[in-house]
Amino acid sequence: MTLTTAPVPGSTAPGTGPAGRPGRSSARTTASHYLIWVVTLVLVVGPVVPIVLASLWSTPLYRSGGHVTLDNYRDLLTDPAWWGAVGNSLAFAGLTTVLSVLFGVGAAVLLTRTNIPWRRLFAGVLVLPVVLPGLVLIVGWMAMWAPSGFVSSWLTVNTVLAFPIDLYTMPGMALVATSVAAPVVFLFCRTTVLAVDSSLEDAARSAGAGPLRALVSVTVPLLRPAVLNSALLVFAVSFEVLGLPLILGFSNDITLVSTYLYDNWINASPPRQGLVSAGAVFLLACVSGLLVVRNRLVGDAARYTTVTGKATAKRVVDLGPAGWPLAALVAAVLGVLVVVPLVGVVMTAFTTILTPLIAPWSVLTMENFGAVFANPIWVESIRNSLLIATVGGLLTTLAIAVVSVVAHRSDFRFRGSLQQAVLWPRMMPGLVTGMAFFWAFAILDPGGALRSSLWALGLAFAVRSLALGYGVFYPALAAIGQDLDRAARTSGATWWQATVTVSLRLTAPAMGACFVLLFVSMLNDADPAVFLVTDRTPVMGLTMLQLAATSTGGAVAAFGVVQMLITVVVLGAGRLFLGVRAHA
Amino acid sequence: MPDLTLTKVAKSFGDNTVLHELDLHVRDGELFTLLGPSGCGKSTTLWSIAGLHSPDGGMIAFGDRVVFDGGKVDLPPERRNCGVVFQSYAVWPHLTVHDNVAYPLKLRKVGRRERAARVHEVLELVELDHLAGRHPHELSGGQQQRVALARALAHPPDLLLLDEPFSNLDAKLRERARLWLRRLQQRIGVTTVFVTHDQDEALSMSDRIVVMDQGRVRQIGTPEEIYQQPADLFVADFVGTVNVLGGRVVPGRDGVAHISLDGLGDPIAVPAVPGAADEVRLAVRPEQIVVHPTGVAGPGAVNVVTTQVLSQAFLGDHYRYVVGLGTAELVVRTAAPVDHDAELTLELPPAAFRVFPAG
Ligand SMILES: Nc1ncnc2c1ncn2[C@@H]1O[C@H](COP(=O)(O)OP(=O)(O)OP(=O)(O)O)[C@@H](O)[C@H]1O
Ligand SMILES: [Mg+2]
Repeated sequence: MTLTTAPVPGSTAPGTGPAGRPGRSSARTTASHYLIWVVTLVLVVGPVVPIVLASLWSTPLYRSGGHVTLDNYRDLLTDPAWWGAVGNSLAFAGLTTVLSVLFGVGAAVLLTRTNIPWRRLFAGVLVLPVVLPGLVLIVGWMAMWAPSGFVSSWLTVNTVLAFPIDLYTMPGMALVATSVAAPVVFLFCRTTVLAVDSSLEDAARSAGAGPLRALVSVTVPLLRPAVLNSALLVFAVSFEVLGLPLILGFSNDITLVSTYLYDNWINASPPRQGLVSAGAVFLLACVSGLLVVRNRLVGDAARYTTVTGKATAKRVVDLGPAGWPLAALVAAVLGVLVVVPLVGVVMTAFTTILTPLIAPWSVLTMENFGAVFANPIWVESIRNSLLIATVGGLLTTLAIAVVSVVAHRSDFRFRGSLQQAVLWPRMMPGLVTGMAFFWAFAILDPGGALRSSLWALGLAFAVRSLALGYGVFYPALAAIGQDLDRAARTSGATWWQATVTVSLRLTAPAMGACFVLLFVSMLNDADPAVFLVTDRTPVMGLTMLQLAATSTGGAVAAFGVVQMLITVVVLGAGRLFLGVRAHA
Repeated sequence: MPDLTLTKVAKSFGDNTVLHELDLHVRDGELFTLLGPSGCGKSTTLWSIAGLHSPDGGMIAFGDRVVFDGGKVDLPPERRNCGVVFQSYAVWPHLTVHDNVAYPLKLRKVGRRERAARVHEVLELVELDHLAGRHPHELSGGQQQRVALARALAHPPDLLLLDEPFSNLDAKLRERARLWLRRLQQRIGVTTVFVTHDQDEALSMSDRIVVMDQGRVRQIGTPEEIYQQPADLFVADFVGTVNVLGGRVVPGRDGVAHISLDGLGDPIAVPAVPGAADEVRLAVRPEQIVVHPTGVAGPGAVNVVTTQVLSQAFLGDHYRYVVGLGTAELVVRTAAPVDHDAELTLELPPAAFRVFPAG
C-alpha cells in the first residue's frame, strides 16, 4: 500500500459509524417520503371528498339534516343544457388544443434551435400572454378585434380587408384562448428542446440527414412527452376556463361547462349546489380517464432521458434565405395574437373613448387610473394578490420540486401515486377547486378563521397551480441523467443530500421558471376565488373578472394595465434570474 | 482493503431473472473483471454491490462487514463506501473538477486543509491537477472519465467499481487508458471490480475474470486459464477466436482418444474425452495450429492433414487462411505468407484441442 490509500483523517464512511443502528438515515428518508406523500394527498385529494359528499347529499353540507340521494346526478344527466355545455366545452377545448400545439411546437423548434432573425424578441412576445393576466388580454381582444373593435372596424372602413373571425363565436373564442395557451406548449417544449443532447442530432446527421432533417427527425420526436403533457394541460384548462366564456360567450349564449356550473351556483335561486357538485364529480371521472390515457402514451419517462453526465455544447440550425420570410410570418401571427390586443388595452386605458372615428391622441386622459387608485377594494385586491403570489409562489415551487424528486428519483413505494396527484388538480376546473376548499372549510373550520384569511385562497391557488409548475419543472428533472444522483449516493450522500446538491441544484433554472409562472398565475387567478373570496380578502383576478363581465371601458383597462405592469416587472426580474444558467 | 464476497445473490425484474444465485469472491487488492455479452447481468451485479438496487436474496459482504443479507441487512449506497465510475461518467456539470472530487470528502466532513491536499493528491494521480478549475464541459471525454475516477478514489473507497469506463473512448485512447488504470490500481492496491464486454480489455487488465452468461457464472479464473482452458464452449467462443468442430469418438485405439470428423479419412488424436460422451465438440485456437509451408511435417508429428485453401487475408500483423477440413472450415494464422498451391499442410497437436460434450 502506498500513501494514497491511507485514509484521510476523520474520513470514516458515513455509514460505518457505531454499529447497532443500521439503516437509520434511510429510515428517516423513508419517513420523510411518507410524510410528503400524506400531505400531498390530503391537500390534493382531500378536498374532493366533501364535493363527493355534497353531490350525494340532499341538502348543502353546512345545513343540518338531509339524506343520501342520487337526485343530483339524475337532475344533471337529464338536463339538456348540461349536455350542450359539455359538447361546447369539448369543441372549444379540442380546437384550442390543436391550434396551441401547432403554434407552440413550431415556435419551440423555430425559436430555440434555428437562427431565425429576432428569435429572442419573438420568444419574449410569444410568452407575454401566458404571463400577463388572461382577462386583460381578452379586454384587449374585444377592444381591437371584436366586430365593432378599433382595428377591425378600421380595416373594414379603410381597406378591402376584414378580420375573418367573429370573436363572439366558438372559433373566435378558441382563437383568443390559443393566444394564451400556445405559449404554455411553447414553454414546455422549449425546456425539452434545450435539454436535448446535440450529439443525438449529430448522430442523425452522420447518418446522412441534413441539419433541418436531423432537427425534425430526432429532436421533435423527443418532444412527445412535453407535447402530451402540455396538450393535456391546455385541454384541461380550456375545458375549465371561466372568464373567457363568461365574457365572450355571453352575447351568443354559448354555454361551457364552467359557465353552466357558475350560473347554477351563483345565479340560480335557490343555488343548485348539489347539482353543481355532481357536475364536478362527473368531470373528475373523465379527467382520471384522461390521465390513464396520458400514461399509456407517454410511457416510461426514462426513455426520454437525454442529458447524461457528458457535457456537450449546443448548436443552431442555419435556415439560410428561408429565415426572413419565416420571420415575417411569425411577426404577423404574433402581431395579431398578442401585440394588437395589448396595444388595445393600453389605448383604452389612456383614452376616454376609443374608436377609429376619433383620433386617440385627442382624447388622452389619466382619469381611468385615478379611478382605480381611489377605489379601496381595488387597491386592497392588488396588495392581497401580491402577497399570495410571492409567498404562495415560493412555497409552491419548493413543494413541486420536492414532490417531483420523490415521485421520480426515489425508491419510495407509492411514488407513482404522487406523480398522478400533482397532475390531477389542474384537471379540476378552478371553480371546482374553489368549491372543494369551500366545502372542506365548511366542514373542518366552521368558525371560519382560516377561511377568512388569505391562506385559504393561497392554498386553493397553490393546489390549482401544482400541475402548471410541475409541467415546467418535470421535463428539466427528467433531462438530468440519474447516474448523476447515483454518483452522489455512492460518494456517500444520503438521498436528501444527493437530491439537494445534484438534482435540485441542476434544476434551479427550471425552478426559477416555475416560480415566475406560478407567481403570475397566482397573481391573476380568479376562478377558485369565486367561492372562497370574502369582503376582507379581495384578489385582483376576481375583481377584474367581475369588472370585465359587467362593464367595459377605461377603468377596467386601467386596472388591467396596473396588473400587467406588476407582472412585467416580475418577469423582468425573472429573465435576469433565468439568465443565470447552470454550466450544463 | 477488504475482500468482497457474494453468496447466492439473485435478482429478477418482473419474471425476467437477471441473476441466478450468483457466488463470487474477489480477493483483497485484486482487479476482478466481470466479462460477458450485453445484457448478461454485469451492471446488475455491480449495482447490487454498490447498493444502487437491492437483490431479491443472497448475501454481500465487504471483508466481514455484511452490507446486504436477504431482508435483514441492506445498507444504502452512501454507507457502503464504494467508489463507482459510471459508464456515462456522471461528472456533475455544475461543479468544477476540484469540487467534483472534493464532494465525497465534504460529505465526510474532512477539514478544509486536508481536503485540498487530498484533492490535489488524487488529481495528480489521474494527471489532472492542472485542470482543477475547469468545468466538465471544458474537458474531453477521456479527461471527464479521469475526473470520475478521481472522484471515486477520493474518500478513499473500500472497493472500486467500474462499469465499462472505457466504452466511450476511442480505440487508441482506450488502450492507453487500460495500461494506465491497471498501473494505477496496482499502485493503490484497491480491491476493484471491473465490468466490460470487451475480451481484450478483460484479458489485458485483470488478475482474475468471471465470464458470465444470462446471469450465471460460466468460469472464474486468471486470464491465462480463461483463454487456454475454457470451461465450456461458450467461454471458448466468447474469449478469443476459436474453431469449433463436431465429431464422434472412435473407441479403443492405442489408449488415446480419437475423434472422427465428417468427411475426413483418419480420426484425430486428442487428449482424454470427458465422461462417456459419444458426440463431442472440439475447440482449437487458430494460432495453435502449426502450418508447414514446405508441405512436410517433422518426425513424430501427429494429426498431419493436407487441406484446401478456401480464402486468405492479410491482417497487418498476421495472415489468415480459411481451409476446408473434411466438411468443416478451419481458420489458421501465420506470421509470414505461405506460398501454396491452393493446399496447406497442417499439424494439429493433440494438446491444442479442448474436447467438450456435444449439445
Ligand atoms: N430496471 C430494469 N428493469 C427491467 N429490466 C432490467 C432493468 N435493468 C436491467 N434489466 C435487464 O436485466 C438484464 C441485465 O442487465 P444489465 O444492465 O445488468 O446487463 P449488462 O450485462 O450490464 O449489459 P451491457 O453490457 O449491455 O451493459 C438485461 O436483460 C436487462 O434487460
Ligand atoms: Mg451494463
